[in-house]
Amino acid sequence: MSDLTYPDVVQWAVPFFIAAILAEVAWIAWKGRGGRYETRDAVTSLVMGAGNVASGILLGFIAWGFFMWLWQITPLDLGTSVWVVLLCFVLDDLRYYWVHRFGHRIRWVWASHVNHHSSQHYNLTTALRQTWTYTFTFMMVVRAPLILLGFHPAMVLFVGGLNLIYQFWIHTEAIGRMPRWFETVMNTPSHHRVHHGRNARYLDANYAGVFIIWDKMFGTYVPELDEEKPDYGLVHNIGTFNPIRVAFHEWVGIYQDVTQPGLTLRQRLMYAFAPPGYSHDGSRDTSEGIKAKHLARNPADAGTPGFETTVPHARPSQAAE
Amino acid sequence: MPLELLLALVVIGIAGIALLLHLMGRSDQTYLTTEDARAQWHRHFPDDDIIDVTLTQDAHAAVVRTREGTGLLWSFGADTVGRHLIDFDMIETEHGLQVMFHDYASPKVTLHLTEFERAHFQTLMRPL
Repeated sequence: MSDLTYPDVVQWAVPFFIAAILAEVAWIAWKGRGGRYETRDAVTSLVMGAGNVASGILLGFIAWGFFMWLWQITPLDLGTSVWVVLLCFVLDDLRYYWVHRFGHRIRWVWASHVNHHSSQHYNLTTALRQTWTYTFTFMMVVRAPLILLGFHPAMVLFVGGLNLIYQFWIHTEAIGRMPRWFETVMNTPSHHRVHHGRNARYLDANYAGVFIIWDKMFGTYVPELDEEKPDYGLVHNIGTFNPIRVAFHEWVGIYQDVTQPGLTLRQRLMYAFAPPGYSHDGSRDTSEGIKAKHLARNPADAGTPGFETTVPHARPSQAAE
Repeated sequence: MPLELLLALVVIGIAGIALLLHLMGRSDQTYLTTEDARAQWHRHFPDDDIIDVTLTQDAHAAVVRTREGTGLLWSFGADTVGRHLIDFDMIETEHGLQVMFHDYASPKVTLHLTEFERAHFQTLMRPL
């Protein structure tokens, strides 16, 4: 069954992406609410999306070669029944949760993922602001257990594509909240707006792809509060629309930090692999430090969603040490 | 999907959406008031204690003096970006100043200033 193939669903979804963006633009113009668009921001996001597809075409053989090697060594083959595909979809979503969580907690992986959060807007084009450098994070290894368990690599990539397509529609402010049962189980625009918020409350929350249950299971779920609208973008927003700079700025930052003189080997490694915001001299803040500083300014927020475990006045930037 | 078709879809899609947004007036730079500049600076740097704000006449940028140091806030499309003025160069241009940050993610900002403003802003932005 090594010649199993599935359609490249992400490529086939491109016309739908374009139509949905046009519909969202029209909806916002008609209603006068439901999101914001800015020309250069949107174009940058769309070019990032095109570059993501191009990088997949150019570098996809690396992950594919690795997956096919795993497929050759595994004695297991679960076949291609509908139930196996559904199980693969659910387990791959669990895989996505952890890769995404690593993407926010390990600077090496954040360097790839940061561009997705680099827009101060939140609309359907933001969904397409995707990485060009995912291959270099080596996060394809997180898919290894699926293949070793007997899910064919083509099936794993197919359900991964479906996962990405699902996540497209949740990048919108045009939809408030879905029915309660849906919000309970599925990732929704409301849950994902929280994930894109740079508010201290919303940092490092809601990593889910399709099912929000993973965040609830692993303690990273934060609900969107009506009284605190998400403020989109990065803690330190970038000042460029240049897609090259958007794609590579964190990699450049890692290089500059790791190669600065006078550091120990451990400090150099921490700059590459510790959570974003690590600094050897305490001059920067990790998300824990940002939350602690917020609580120092707003003590009444202690114990509320997003601050349940934050210790006020914790020494920022030392958290990663 | 054939690559030629995918490429055509992507190029036409991006160009079409860009043109539509531009014609809808979504390419305008945001205008700042002093209060906007204060609020935006606190949004970027919530720990800073602002002393005063000096807006450019075109309302697209502001020098923000804080107890933590001086910073520059500028319009970035419909939004803003701010940076503390720590590691930068200033270059005089025909219509104002260009501020070159040594920052790959925010390489430079062009300030459109009158002759009087240019001298004033150079003084405001000069490192102490």
